[in-house]
Amino acid sequence: MTDVTAEAALGLPPLLRLDDPRASTVEAVGGKAARLSRLATRYRVPPGFCLTTAAWEWQKTAGGMTAELRMLIEAAHAELARVTGQAEPIVAARSSAVDEDGAGSSFAGQLETFLNVTGLDELLRAIAGCWDSAASERVATYRREQGLPSEAVPVGVLVQQLVDADVAAVAFSANPVTGNRDEVVINASYGLGESIVSGTVTPDTYTVRRSDLTITDLRLGEKQVMTIRAPGGTREVPVPRLLRAQRALDDTHLAEIARLAIDLEAATGAPVDVECAYRGGDLYLLQCRPITTLR
Amino acid sequence: MAQESSVPAMTPPGPGDPIPVPPDFPVDWAGAGDEKAFWMLDRMHFPRPLTPLGASLLEVAIGPALAAAMADSPAPMDARMRAINGYMYMAMAPLPPPPDAAERGARQQEELMQMLPRIGEVWENVWLPEVQENLRFWEGFDLDGASQSELIAHLDESIARFKRVWTIHMTVVFPVHLAMQLFDDMYRDLFGDEDRFGAYRLTQGFDNKTLEGDRALWALSRQALAEPAVRSIVEEQAAADVMPALEAEPAATEFLAALQAYLDEYGQRGPDYDEVGEPSWIEDPTPAILRIKDFMGQADRDLAAELDARATEREEAMAAVREQLGSYPEPVVQQFEALLAAAQQSTVLTEVHNFWIDFRSVYRMRRLFLTAGRQLAEAGVIADANDVFYLTIGEVRRSLEDPTADLRALVAKRKAEHRHQGELQAPPALGTMPPGAPPDDPMTRSNMNFFGAPPPPPTDPGTLRGAAGSPGTARGTARVIRSLVDGDKLEIGDILVTEATAPPWSSLFARAAAIVTDTGGILSHCSVVAREYGIPAVVGTGMGTAMIRDGQEIEVDGSTGTIRLLE
Repeated sequence: MTDVTAEAALGLPPLLRLDDPRASTVEAVGGKAARLSRLATRYRVPPGFCLTTAAWEWQKTAGGMTAELRMLIEAAHAELARVTGQAEPIVAARSSAVDEDGAGSSFAGQLETFLNVTGLDELLRAIAGCWDSAASERVATYRREQGLPSEAVPVGVLVQQLVDADVAAVAFSANPVTGNRDEVVINASYGLGESIVSGTVTPDTYTVRRSDLTITDLRLGEKQVMTIRAPGGTREVPVPRLLRAQRALDDTHLAEIARLAIDLEAATGAPVDVECAYRGGDLYLLQCRPITTLR
Repeated sequence: MAQESSVPAMTPPGPGDPIPVPPDFPVDWAGAGDEKAFWMLDRMHFPRPLTPLGASLLEVAIGPALAAAMADSPAPMDARMRAINGYMYMAMAPLPPPPDAAERGARQQEELMQMLPRIGEVWENVWLPEVQENLRFWEGFDLDGASQSELIAHLDESIARFKRVWTIHMTVVFPVHLAMQLFDDMYRDLFGDEDRFGAYRLTQGFDNKTLEGDRALWALSRQALAEPAVRSIVEEQAAADVMPALEAEPAATEFLAALQAYLDEYGQRGPDYDEVGEPSWIEDPTPAILRIKDFMGQADRDLAAELDARATEREEAMAAVREQLGSYPEPVVQQFEALLAAAQQSTVLTEVHNFWIDFRSVYRMRRLFLTAGRQLAEAGVIADANDVFYLTIGEVRRSLEDPTADLRALVAKRKAEHRHQGELQAPPALGTMPPGAPPDDPMTRSNMNFFGAPPPPPTDPGTLRGAAGSPGTARGTARVIRSLVDGDKLEIGDILVTEATAPPWSSLFARAAAIVTDTGGILSHCSVVAREYGIPAVVGTGMGTAMIRDGQEIEVDGSTGTIRLLE
């Protein structure tokens, strides 16, 4: 009965497919998942589902994962297995807080993310881990320091297929250094995007002219390490010398990424920063945010 | 103090300095710029001084073939070969880049990387057919029926063809070593340095011409054991008397035919690499007879099954590596698989190219020059057909055209010189020290891992160091053997200590507990074959044959490249 009450109160199911239109609001699934949900209908975003803020309230009231939630997750997990063609889908579980990445302050790094999660039991633990991190002492302290209300904000959980990236890239639809709006700048390196995002690797940097998508500048990065899946999560391993000396992306791939960034900028109305990855020749959109630092 | 200051300081030459020449090793720098080049002794291919004819082949064909292949490589090199006091020296230095160097180099590099994973196919479909076409040309020429003028024309064409075949040789061997090096590099980049032989376990267990020849020789030993008349002859007669005794024995006909077939196929080679002056096993089968005697005394073993076991080991290691690579990015996996294929085919080609090019082409030149030698001996120019090896190609040609000059005194002088050269200690390097450390690129590394780098200093006085060539440890009596015909000094369980082991030495690997060589690295023929035989090898010790006493107890650790002297 509790689920019906919760759903009625918010008008929101506890679990939604990522491409469900109801998953497109921050209130429903948190900032991170909502942004991706809006993209999922139009771009190749890795398939997944969201535990909504309704699920968050529910587990809070129940003091943890309930049998009903578990059944919903199990069904969604089985659906993901079908969609991805993987018997045991490899997923990432990410916290998606309602005010995360909001205009005021950021939760960056405060909430848990679990990569390379396989099997239902591991997934259930990862989802619980995301919920717990939002209620943790660390986050409470952080919120106090930021002058935010001390009560924990609702948090959604985004469960998504983890794409075993061949090459990960971050594209800026305007030059983030010079502010030049006629250029797309692309950073790329081997493996999952974590090594680029966390700055442990010097990626290749390509500058692409927006008007005709030609490469106007190419700086080979050292690409010292790459993040790959490993038991229990991920690990960074060295990139072989021969590949370090090669370009991570060719002209065709760069043009495809540049087109994606330009298109996303047009769709959102402002310059964007796009995280994406190639796997088996297919380009996946992983994240898209406005460039906040542009001059 | 005063006494000390009167002694000239013996400081080693620094970068760009001339390298001091020992007084008994005078060097006459003939070529332009030769004195300024850094020359390294190649004792691996030529442990003994070349005959004048061998040096002449080096000068007119093998050296120019190397120069042509290296000038045309992605990173063009000025490569030279010289016989200095009979010893083979090689110098390689980057050529000044042509105006289009970057673009041309990048294109050639790209083509090379595309070719490497198909190198076996390119060998089979392009290079080998051309080599075989040349071999057929030589086989099709009736040497004994040739007139003097026909022989001169044949000589001219043969030198041109010999040079072409050796250009193919040089076009093959550098990519072969590069492929093995790139794969080793990549393996260690991915999985670390702990297992020095990790990459080589993935390339072992493929058949090659060296192993094939050893199995054929082993089969002959079993055939000899099974036929009582043959068995008693081969066991009881001295090696040199075995052939005539077999020919006189009616019950030996079948064995003799099999032995002849073996010699026709595998006997077109001398005791070492490329010395035209050494008799082939076809002419003098003593080395083959000695090996058969040796094998007959050994317990039964199945060399083919041993090779299969290496292949099984390889496939198991391969499965484990592929499992590990499961979560790696596709470009890494693709590069790994491409280099693995390249390295596997290249490991086979290290042995196959010798069989088809080195041995067969030199054997054909030898037959040609022996025919010329017989004509010159008949004309009185030289005393004996074999004296032809103490002339240069130019002298042979001129004498065939005009056989009036008496060259017997010249031959006598050259023979004395050649004997004297055999007593010299050839310095490991000549000319001018290079301006700095060698570049740390795959090509340079592959050359060092083939020819061998200077050995690291010993860790303690009772040890000697070289390069790890083949894994494992063994303890036994060292036998310092400088010539293949002394191979029977090696008892089962002894450790073979020698300057280099050319492919004809491989049958000794079935007997040795371990191998120690002065020359070579992990990519050398010796290391490749020791790994296939599963015996430890330390290669490139520089001075193992000088430091290890014949009969000394030693312990060899092929995994670390260390030798302990136990007495």
